[in-house]
Amino acid sequence: MKGIVFTEFLDMVEQNFGYEMVDTLLNESELPSGGIYTSIGTYNHQEMVNLLVTLNMRTKTPISQLLRTFGRYLFQRFTKIYSHLIDEAPDAFSFLGSIHNYIHVEVRKLYPDAELPHFDIEQPNANTLVMHYSSVRSMGDLAYGLIEGAMKHYGETATITQELLQEDGSQIKFVIEK
Amino acid sequence: MQDIEILQRRVERERKARLQAEAILEEKALQLYQVNEQLRLLNENLEQQVIEGGAKLQKSEKRYRQLIESVQDIIYKISPTGYFTFVNPVVEQRLGYCPDEIIGHHFTELVVPEYREKLVNFYWEMVHFQKESTYNDFPVYKKNGEIAWIGQTVRLIEIEGNVVELVAVARDITEQVATDDALRTTQTRLSTLITNLQKGVLVEDENRKIILVNQLFCDLFEIPAPAETLIGIDCSQSAEQSKYLFINPEEFAKQINDLLAKQEICINEELHMVNGRILERDYIPIFLEGQYRGHLWKYADVTEQFLAREQIRKSEEKYRGIMNNMELGLIEVDKEDRIVRAYDRFCLMMGYTEEELIGKGASDLFLPPEFRGIFEQHQSIRSEGRATSYEVQMMKKDGSRIWVILSGAPIMDEHGNIVGSMGIHYDISARKHLEQELALAKEIAEEARQAEKQFLANMSHEIRTPLNAIIGMTHLLFDTRPSKQQYEYLDILKSSADFLHSLISDLLDMAKIEAGRIEVQNHPFDLVGLLRTTQRVFQIKLENRPIELDLMIDGRISGNYLGDDVMLNQILLNIIGNAEKFTEEGTIEMTVKLKKEDNETCWIEFKIADTGIGIPKEKLELIFQKFKQVNPQGHKHKGTGLGLSITKQLVELQGGTLTVKSYEGEGTTFTFTLPFQKSDTEIVKNDYTIEDGTANLELCNLLVVEDNIMNQRYISGLLNKWNIPFTIAIDGRKAVEQAHKQHFDIILMDIQMPNMDGYEATLTIRNTNNLNQNTPIVALTASAMIDQKNKTKSVGMNDFITKPFTPSQLLSVIQKFLKVENLPTPTPVSLPEPTSTLLDFSRLKELYGDDNEYILDMMETFLTDALPDFSEFQALINTNDWVTLSKLAHRLKPSLGMVGLTDLEKTMAEIENQARKQPEAESLQLLLNHVNTQLETGVKEIKREIEKLKL
Repeated sequence: MKGIVFTEFLDMVEQNFGYEMVDTLLNESELPSGGIYTSIGTYNHQEMVNLLVTLNMRTKTPISQLLRTFGRYLFQRFTKIYSHLIDEAPDAFSFLGSIHNYIHVEVRKLYPDAELPHFDIEQPNANTLVMHYSSVRSMGDLAYGLIEGAMKHYGETATITQELLQEDGSQIKFVIEK
Repeated sequence: MQDIEILQRRVERERKARLQAEAILEEKALQLYQVNEQLRLLNENLEQQVIEGGAKLQKSEKRYRQLIESVQDIIYKISPTGYFTFVNPVVEQRLGYCPDEIIGHHFTELVVPEYREKLVNFYWEMVHFQKESTYNDFPVYKKNGEIAWIGQTVRLIEIEGNVVELVAVARDITEQVATDDALRTTQTRLSTLITNLQKGVLVEDENRKIILVNQLFCDLFEIPAPAETLIGIDCSQSAEQSKYLFINPEEFAKQINDLLAKQEICINEELHMVNGRILERDYIPIFLEGQYRGHLWKYADVTEQFLAREQIRKSEEKYRGIMNNMELGLIEVDKEDRIVRAYDRFCLMMGYTEEELIGKGASDLFLPPEFRGIFEQHQSIRSEGRATSYEVQMMKKDGSRIWVILSGAPIMDEHGNIVGSMGIHYDISARKHLEQELALAKEIAEEARQAEKQFLANMSHEIRTPLNAIIGMTHLLFDTRPSKQQYEYLDILKSSADFLHSLISDLLDMAKIEAGRIEVQNHPFDLVGLLRTTQRVFQIKLENRPIELDLMIDGRISGNYLGDDVMLNQILLNIIGNAEKFTEEGTIEMTVKLKKEDNETCWIEFKIADTGIGIPKEKLELIFQKFKQVNPQGHKHKGTGLGLSITKQLVELQGGTLTVKSYEGEGTTFTFTLPFQKSDTEIVKNDYTIEDGTANLELCNLLVVEDNIMNQRYISGLLNKWNIPFTIAIDGRKAVEQAHKQHFDIILMDIQMPNMDGYEATLTIRNTNNLNQNTPIVALTASAMIDQKNKTKSVGMNDFITKPFTPSQLLSVIQKFLKVENLPTPTPVSLPEPTSTLLDFSRLKELYGDDNEYILDMMETFLTDALPDFSEFQALINTNDWVTLSKLAHRLKPSLGMVGLTDLEKTMAEIENQARKQPEAESLQLLLNHVNTQLETGVKEIKREIEKLKL
């Protein structure tokens, strides 16, 4: 998992709960990297899971909630860091539709070792977008948050429903209706 | 406090994250640097390529420029009226004129005169009809006077329909014209060649139009038109038209179409025409720069070659057939002995196929190791280029072997170098097998023959000993007063045993001669004496038969000769015995002549002629062969069939010759010639003086050395009868012992005995100091063989008698050495033995009937008056008064008959007869002895009869 996810996650935790919480997470979680993250590094995905679990225990907030929040936060950060990518798309659907064929392609150019989820996009009508998420990471909630973040960025409102296609969360169908 | 710790940790984390980020960045920077570096290199390459590309471009530009500058053509302009207005500098190079020399001149000035008019017309026409562009070529003069051919393209330059000038591009085509000329010449030459070729040639173009055809082609295809008229004619139907000229028309047409379709060279196709000719066809497609431009047909009449080839092929087939049927296996090998060719018959012979053999080493494959040597030996001869043949065994594929005669001949190439050899094999296994069987059979036969010979010799010897006893005992039986019938039986027994004895003696002699074990002796002997003795012996034998035996001796023959008298004696006995056998009456003439004489050798010819039955001409050759008898059927004489064969060999052994002449019914003459050397020495009978024995028989003493009991008894019987004292020794060793004990007057010595034989005993007695060193020794030889007789003499024996001997033979030999006057009467074998019936009672009965008084009277008279006269005989013999003797015999003869002494009467007649023809004293003495003995007995019987009659 790319280091930026860890650094942004810790920034969000610091922002919402203070550095004390960050310090607690780093001290208590099982982290082979020793909790030293830099945005350009790459770290084991399990460390993120461990951090989330510790945060969940500390805050009693459900992990899905934590991830959605993180998703929204992360997207907002992306609009700042990667505005050149996001500005290309005129609206939310265009952006979401271009994730797999454009954003991820560009990401891979920068980070050849990035492990990215797979999205299949359908647009049954002008106001509906169906996204098939599939990833062994099972971080559908993060994707949920990111989609929400994206909607917010483009100032659009839509109802987002998610449907687990696999029990383990490795495949999820998101339906976004404007 | 806690905050500080947290802070510290945070700072620490930040620091570590920074270091981590720096490390990552450094790595990335390095990657970036490397990528940059690659990019730079790429750029540099690009630059280099651009530079090189530019250089190439420049070069190519330059080339074009040079090309343009180096235009080879003359370019000029000319006015419509024909005057040069411009000419480029090339003209100077081509024609030698500089442009200024030409400009302003009329173009015809350069043209060779005879082309000018034509050229002017050509260009006038061009201008007149406003032809845009024309081409023409023509010769022009160069400045140096040479002619150059110019080919030029001229274009009209018009302005508003008016011809303003002409632009010409002219090229020097002198060389091209020359090449064209040469080409035309070649073409002409070639077509002439083809036209006159001894082969039918037809050249067609790609559309099957005739380009060239020669007369021979027309002749072959029976086309009536001349060849030239055919040019241009379409040939697409010609195959169909002419196919009937060929034996297989459809195939001919089809093959032509196939060839045309394939367009590939096809040569030496054989075509058989209906008219019997054979054609060989070549099809050659013609391609020009890869483009099919027609084809050439060539038909050669190869009938003669075909027939010749056919004949060769047939002949080869014939010889191949012969070779394959000849039972000769042929192979050809190269110089390394590898098989190059194996003929069918050979493959069959060895059980291989030809494929299996090709390339194999012939000798490795076929030759058993033991035949290597002989093979190598012949191989080296072959390498000298000579053919050889020999017999070897060869191994077949199945491992079995066959015998072959292998004849190898070198194969030469056309330069006479040996390139290999040809092996011809003839299977002789069957013959070898036969040969081996034959050799085996021969060996067996030879062994059998040897065994038979040995057997015969052994048997002969073994038979002789008991035979001696039979004969001896027979003789003794004669003395036991047998009845008349018994006498007859004994006579048959005796003659049969005698015959058997002579048969065995002959066989043994023959065996000895054949074994080469007889040596010719060379000692002095009295030839005349020998001949006279022989004559006497036969005269006695023939005394009752009407046969005269005459002896005529060349006056020049006298004294002693060196030679083998024993052998000569046997020869004479055989031949005369033979003559006597086959002569009923007449004469046997023995003529002995000195045939020739040189320094040392006298050739004496002996001729024995009889007046017998003779020998048929066609059988003359048989008589000297072993076991061949030419007796007429039913002839009373029997024999071994060996006599003459032995005789001939004995003559030849001494270096003489024996021949025979005969006329059937008239008689036979045997002639033999023997070489003898004259001897100056007197005959020395022995090297020692033999003492004469005691005169008184009763006082003399004999030693009889004999191992055979039967013989002992026979001899004892005789000696007892004669009242001669004797001692018996059973072998040589005992004899020598006896010789030391007492003196003997005569020793009778058997030869073959155990412990010590007769020869050794004799030698011992002669050479050791004993009482009998000078006693006469008489051999009792068991065989009549000549060599044995000779040997007895050489060891110091004084005489020999051959067993079985007759009493008279024994007695005479005793007499010979005792030299006594008063002898007991011997019993001659040839005369009737005295019997109890010496008195012929039947005769008496015949004379006197039953008048016993008369008989008595006659007998008493005989005793008183006639008997004393018999004593006169001895005196007459001693004085050789044959006439008186003859008369006395004549006188006394009837007296004997009157008293019934019939046998004595006959003997007396013989004495009378003998005395008339110059007899030898000895023979008469023998007869007289007989008479005396008989008379003694007869007188006793008469006295007994008188006593009987007086009673």
